[in-house]
Order: sequence, then structure tokens, then C-alpha cells
Amino acid sequence: MFETVENWALHAYADGELEGDDKKAVEALLARDEAARKVVASFAAQKQQLHRAYDAVLDEAVPASILAAAKGRSLPRLHWVTSLVAGLALVGLGTVLGLGVSQHFEQVQQASLANRAVVAYQTFAPEVRHPVEVAADDQDHLKAWLSKRIGTEIKIPDLQEAGYTLLGGRLLAEEDHPAGQLMYEDANKKRLTIYLTANTGAKEQALVLADNGGLVTCYWRDGALAMAISADMPHDAMMTLAKDIYEQMDAKG
Amino acid sequence: MNSSEFQKNLLPELPHLRRFARALSGDAALADDLVQDCVERALKKQHLYDSTRPLRAWLYTILRNIHISHWRQAAPWGQMKNIDDMEGFEGAIEAAQEHNLSLSLITQALDHLPPQHREVLVLISLEEVSYREAAEIIGVPIGTIMSRLSRARSTLQKLLEEGGTTVLRVVK
Repeated sequence: MFETVENWALHAYADGELEGDDKKAVEALLARDEAARKVVASFAAQKQQLHRAYDAVLDEAVPASILAAAKGRSLPRLHWVTSLVAGLALVGLGTVLGLGVSQHFEQVQQASLANRAVVAYQTFAPEVRHPVEVAADDQDHLKAWLSKRIGTEIKIPDLQEAGYTLLGGRLLAEEDHPAGQLMYEDANKKRLTIYLTANTGAKEQALVLADNGGLVTCYWRDGALAMAISADMPHDAMMTLAKDIYEQMDAKG
Repeated sequence: MNSSEFQKNLLPELPHLRRFARALSGDAALADDLVQDCVERALKKQHLYDSTRPLRAWLYTILRNIHISHWRQAAPWGQMKNIDDMEGFEGAIEAAQEHNLSLSLITQALDHLPPQHREVLVLISLEEVSYREAAEIIGVPIGTIMSRLSRARSTLQKLLEEGGTTVLRVVK
């Protein structure tokens, strides 16, 4: 009965495409025809199910690589991060790094970056009396000194908004190259470190999240720097903070 | 619109682009790759953007073209001759029945739609663009949009009903 012409009219009506007499004609049909009402209701139900399945994406944080691209700066892709953040594979460091297949060498590099950051965190974050070599009140000197020793200009990100205050930093001796550690503390004395070293391989690496039994490390390589953020915090909070730090490091000036 | 204005207008569109890409591709990582490609291309071609047209529709056009070039290379659907001449999708429904559609029925059902139907459905039922905008984005007449939409909805309805029955059988 509502085959042919009226069939498309039901779609058009459901999608708000009809006006005036056309709309009234369909409303009149709906008033007298239960089958037509069911059809229109099924379109609305499909629409609702689609929204229920996909609207959550609108509230997700936009990945850093997309934000960077939108600002005209392209970053390496975020495959690992997106799958990790989606909660599909929140596993230990070793497993995370085992995900790739053809990037063995890079993985070794990454592993050592994350591992060294973790070791440095575990060594100095518990320090009560000597967490840092150069304290926050000498921040300009700390920045100049670490930049000089690491061999590339570093910045000291401001994490006040996330509730972390800078304590200071130190120089670390590494096998191949000096590295730096910046240490921050929140109101509950929980500590966060930023590990910085020269990106000697000159490879770019998007943000990767690794969970080492509660200590979460997010690391990446971009331009002249390789960095790793370590703290005991939820993964999504870490991603948000890491993106903020990434942007501060990347900002001009 | 100058370049920095364009970039400023681009930012609020990103969540919508991500949703569109997710529903179009059904895969979160692939979807974000699509969005990144789309954004890169949009910035490169911003001089081609006609500012009388909604920015979102223009971005959807770019994203959809990138997506299409992917599935033309990879998907079995790419070999179909003319989607609009085909009668129904019994094959798709049977294939879907073999799967257990218990989890997120709708996302799985979408995967069983031919991409030409899926994109129309996603544009109109999820992104809620007008038939005219959908026709411009896909580059076909409005009549084709309506015919694909109608087929997409009826296939989807069958899949959802069949899927629901499968679930009930499994629960018993």
C-alpha cells in the first residue's frame, strides 16, 4: 500500500526532508496506516542505535597526531596508542613492545628509552632528601645546563594545571649519551618524572603508553628529542598530560 | 578565509570527522588514520574550499574519497559491477547469520552492508546530513542516494532482526 512512491516518502519524512503538503500527506498516511508507522519507527530506531554505538567518539580526546596534522604539523601515526587507549591491550612493557613485527631495531631503541626512564624514576622518585640536583628555584640554570649536556635545546614544561609542581632536575649518565630528568610532585607528594635525551636515531615515534606494573610511562621521539613521562596515574590521565607536555615542548619560543 | 582561520575552523570538526570515519570503517585505528589523511589533505587543498559550502560537508567528501580509494584496493565489494542494479542482499544476510551478532549488533550489522549503502546510511542516519549534501559528498544524484538509503535500511533491519533472533536462540 505504501510501496513505490510512498516508500521513499516515508524515508524522506523520517529524515526531515519533507515540507508543506508532502509532509502533511505522509502524516495523514501514518495516522491511518499502522504498517507505515512501524516502518518509520524502525528508521528512528536504527538512527538511535547508530548514535548509541558511535556518539561516544565525539567525547573522546582527539589523538595528538590528528591535532598536530590539523595545525599543519604532522606526527608519526598513533596506531599503538589508539589501540592501547581503547583499552584493548593494556599490558606490560615487554608485551607492548612485542606488538610490532618488522620494527625490531626500533623496538630495542624504544625499549631502552622506556626502560631507562623507568629505572631513573625508580632510583630518584623515592628520594626524600635529594630528589634533584638543581632545584626548581634555579630553573633557568637547570634548563641551560641540561640543554647543553643533552646537546639540544630543552624546555621545562609547566604542569601546574595538572597539579604537579616542579621540584627540579638532574643529569643522568647513560651508556651512549647524557640524559636529563625533570621531577615534579603533586599535592599528595606523588611524583612524576620527565626523562629527556637526544633523539640520536633521528627517527620519529608517536606517543606510546606502557604500563610497568602501575608505573605508567608514555614516551615518544620527535625532532631532536626523545622523551618519556613516568608516573603512577590512570592511562587516560597520562595520555592527556603527555599530549599537553608534547605541545609545550613543541611550542615556538 | 586565511590559513589560520581555516585551521581554527578545522578543530571543532575533528570529533565529527572521527565519528564519521569510525562508522564508515568500523575500525578505530583505521578511522584515525583516515582522519589524519583527511586533515592533511584538507590543509593542502584549503584554497579549493568553497566557503559557501559547510566545511564539514567538504571534509566528509575528502575523507570519504580517501576511504573509497582504500576499499577499492582491498575489499571484495570493490569488484561489484553496479550496486544499484542489485536485488536485495541475501548473501550478506546469510553471512551475517553465521556470525553471532550478540555484541554491538548494529556495528556488526553495518559491517555486512555493501560500502556504497553503508556510507549513505552513516551520512544520513548518523551524521544527519541532508539528501542533497549526501548527494554532493558522494557525487551521485539524489535519487541514487534515496535508493541506496532505502536498500541500506531494509538490509540493516533484516540483519538486526535476524541477529536479534540469533541472540535469543543463543541465550536459550
